[in-house]
Amino acid sequence: MPRVTVTVRDSASRTASASVAYTVLPPVLGGYYLSGGADPTADMAGGNFRSLTQYRSFADGYTFPGYQRPWLITLGRAGVQLNMVLELKHYGAPDTGPQTFTVDGVRYTVPAPAMTIQQRPGAVWPKAYGYGQVLAGQCDGLFARALSQYLTMGFGVNIQLASELDTDHEFGTTEAGKAYTWAESDARAVQAVTYIVNWFRAKGLPQGSTFSVGVGGFNRDCFRRTHPEALMTRLDYLQWNVYATSPSHTALERFRRTKDWAVADLGPVALSRPVLIAEWGVRVIEFPDQAAWIATVPPAIARLNAERGPLIARTNYFNSGWGTLSPKATGLAALRAAYARPPYG
Amino acid sequence: MAAPTANASMNPTTYSPGEQMLLTVNYGDPDHQRLTVTVTVADAQGNRSAPVSVTAVIDPLTVTVADDSGRTWSRVSDNGAVAVFRAVA
Repeated sequence: MPRVTVTVRDSASRTASASVAYTVLPPVLGGYYLSGGADPTADMAGGNFRSLTQYRSFADGYTFPGYQRPWLITLGRAGVQLNMVLELKHYGAPDTGPQTFTVDGVRYTVPAPAMTIQQRPGAVWPKAYGYGQVLAGQCDGLFARALSQYLTMGFGVNIQLASELDTDHEFGTTEAGKAYTWAESDARAVQAVTYIVNWFRAKGLPQGSTFSVGVGGFNRDCFRRTHPEALMTRLDYLQWNVYATSPSHTALERFRRTKDWAVADLGPVALSRPVLIAEWGVRVIEFPDQAAWIATVPPAIARLNAERGPLIARTNYFNSGWGTLSPKATGLAALRAAYARPPYG
Repeated sequence: MAAPTANASMNPTTYSPGEQMLLTVNYGDPDHQRLTVTVTVADAQGNRSAPVSVTAVIDPLTVTVADDSGRTWSRVSDNGAVAVFRAVA
C-alpha cells in the first residue's frame, strides 16, 4: 500500500510530519466474447483486451480448447485471462444419448442427460445432465475428460459452472420425471456445483485455476440462494451479467443492481471475492448509439469499485445476442476507447 | 521556538489506476506570523510621506511531500495554512 508523507519545516529546521496510506486498485480487465465462440483474435488486436469468455458443454468431446479452436491456446499463452463457462446443459447436437469414451486409459460410460432446464412455456426445453446424476457420480467421466484436456493447455483459467442458473431454473426444472421449483432447483444446483468444484480441486490443477458459479443476476432471491457461504469458500469469483435493454438503463444502474443485492444479502466470504462480469452488452434497438453507452462504462465501474463491496475485476463484452455490436466497427472502436481509460488503464 | 504542526488527509483513499488523487495538508506553527510593516516618513514641519508597506514572515514554513511509490505530487493551492496536492493513481 503506497504511503505519502508530508513534512513541514520551520526556519530552525524543526519539523512535523504526517502520512496517509492509500490504495491503487489493480486495473480492471476489459474483455470480450464473439458470437458463436468464434475466433476473436482479429477483433481484440490493437485493443486493451485482456479477458475472454468461452462456452462449452460438458457433453461435447472437445472442451479445452474446444473443437478447432487452437487460437484459444494462443490467446491464453499471450496472457488473456480466460473465463471458461462449462455447462451441464447439452447443446443438442449431434445426439443426446449416453456416451462411452476413454480418458487417459480409463473407460467411462455416462448416461443420457436426465434433466430439462429453461422450461419456458411454449419453448423447446433444453436437456442437461441432472444435479442428481452429478451427485450420483454418473458425470465423473465428463469431468475427467474436461480435466484431461485442460491439463494440456499449459495455463490456468477460471471455470464458471453454468452460464446462468437463474435462466436455467426460472420456470423450474425436471429430472427423471420429477419436477422441481425454482428454489428447489437452486438448492440442488448448489449441491451439484459443490460436488464438481470439489472433484476438480481434488486433482492437480494448473496454477491460476479458479472457479465461479454462473448467474445472470436478474433475480435477487436466486442470487442469494446460489451463493451460500459454504459454497463461496470453494469459489474465487462472484459473477453476474449486465445488459442494457431499456432506454432508461444507465451503465451505473445496470452494473450496480446485482452488486447491491450481494452487499445486502451475502456473507463475508462471498463479499471478499472479486467480480467477473462474464457478459455485458447494450442492445442496439434501445441504444442506436451503442458507443455512447459504452463510453459511460469506465466511470461507472470506477465509481462502483470506489464504493463498499466486492471489486469488479473483469468485464467481458458480449458481442452476440443482446450485445451484438452494430455497426461492428463503431462498437469495437468504442470498446477499445473504453478499455484504454481508467479503471481499465 | 515552537515546533510546527502538520496533518495530512485523503478522501477517498482507494483509487482506480489513472484517477486523480488529492491530498490536503493542514499545517501551522505558533511562531509563524505574517506581518505587515508600514513606514511613513515625516519631517519637522509635519509633512508626511505616503505610507509604504512591506510584508515580513516570521519563522517561515516549507511543506514537502514524499511518496514511497514514486508518484509525483504537485501543489494545486496553498494559503499558508492549507495546501492541496495532486497526483495520478
